[in-house]
Amino acid sequence: MTISEKIPSRLELVPEFVANITNKVKHLLSEKELFNIRLSLEEALVNAIKHGNKQNPDLYVKVTVEADKDCISMKVVDEGAGYDFKALPNPTAEGNLHKASGRGIFLVQNLMDKVVFFDCGRGIEMIKFLKKGIKEGERENKRREIK
Amino acid sequence: MKISEEKLNDVAICILEGEVNISNSPELRKAFDGIIKRQDKKVLVDFSNVSYIDSSGLATLIEMFQRLKKIGGALRFSNLDQKVKNVFEVTKLHKLFEIFDAREAALKDF
Repeated sequence: MTISEKIPSRLELVPEFVANITNKVKHLLSEKELFNIRLSLEEALVNAIKHGNKQNPDLYVKVTVEADKDCISMKVVDEGAGYDFKALPNPTAEGNLHKASGRGIFLVQNLMDKVVFFDCGRGIEMIKFLKKGIKEGERENKRREIK
Repeated sequence: MKISEEKLNDVAICILEGEVNISNSPELRKAFDGIIKRQDKKVLVDFSNVSYIDSSGLATLIEMFQRLKKIGGALRFSNLDQKVKNVFEVTKLHKLFEIFDAREAALKDF
């Protein structure tokens, strides 16, 4: 199954846009996977709109989701200038724990099995291996294969 | 998200229902503004019926934590669903916040 959608850079539209996409794949997911995938997609979109497109409503963010019973891949691509994704601070570091912001991409990196940035940070691909499709031992092999 | 408030002795209890996300975090901030304005210093947020939280929701809670800390107040959370609790654990915010399984335990801790 492939889903391809675009959203204008308006943060208030994000939750409904994400719910519409995840509704189309929820039959493949456990409750926990659905929660984590929804949260990861929302955080990646918010990041793309805020930091990529700088909330310019004339710019769009493209989302492509490919899903089957084994795996779900979500690509989020903005139209901004890109950013240095390697410079993202760790929000769990002692000096950062009290800071209100800076947890979006960290959540994505910790809730998904594999996260790849591309096109100078304009794009992010998030991959999750699904429990229903792959047995626990096989998931680790699959993860190693893709690295 | 639905926000309702109760007062038990000197504790302001903020009961959340539904999802805490980027669309409705400003509403939660507004409710916290009211609590600060009333000079309530002990605040309990009851998450019994919260099914989802994102980083904007976390940011709003951290801001409230800081505001209360400045005036010598305290913030407690109770009744988190496991998936919601996991968001606090992944971000290590369970180390920053006081989180309790039940409302009664949180109230006793003030």
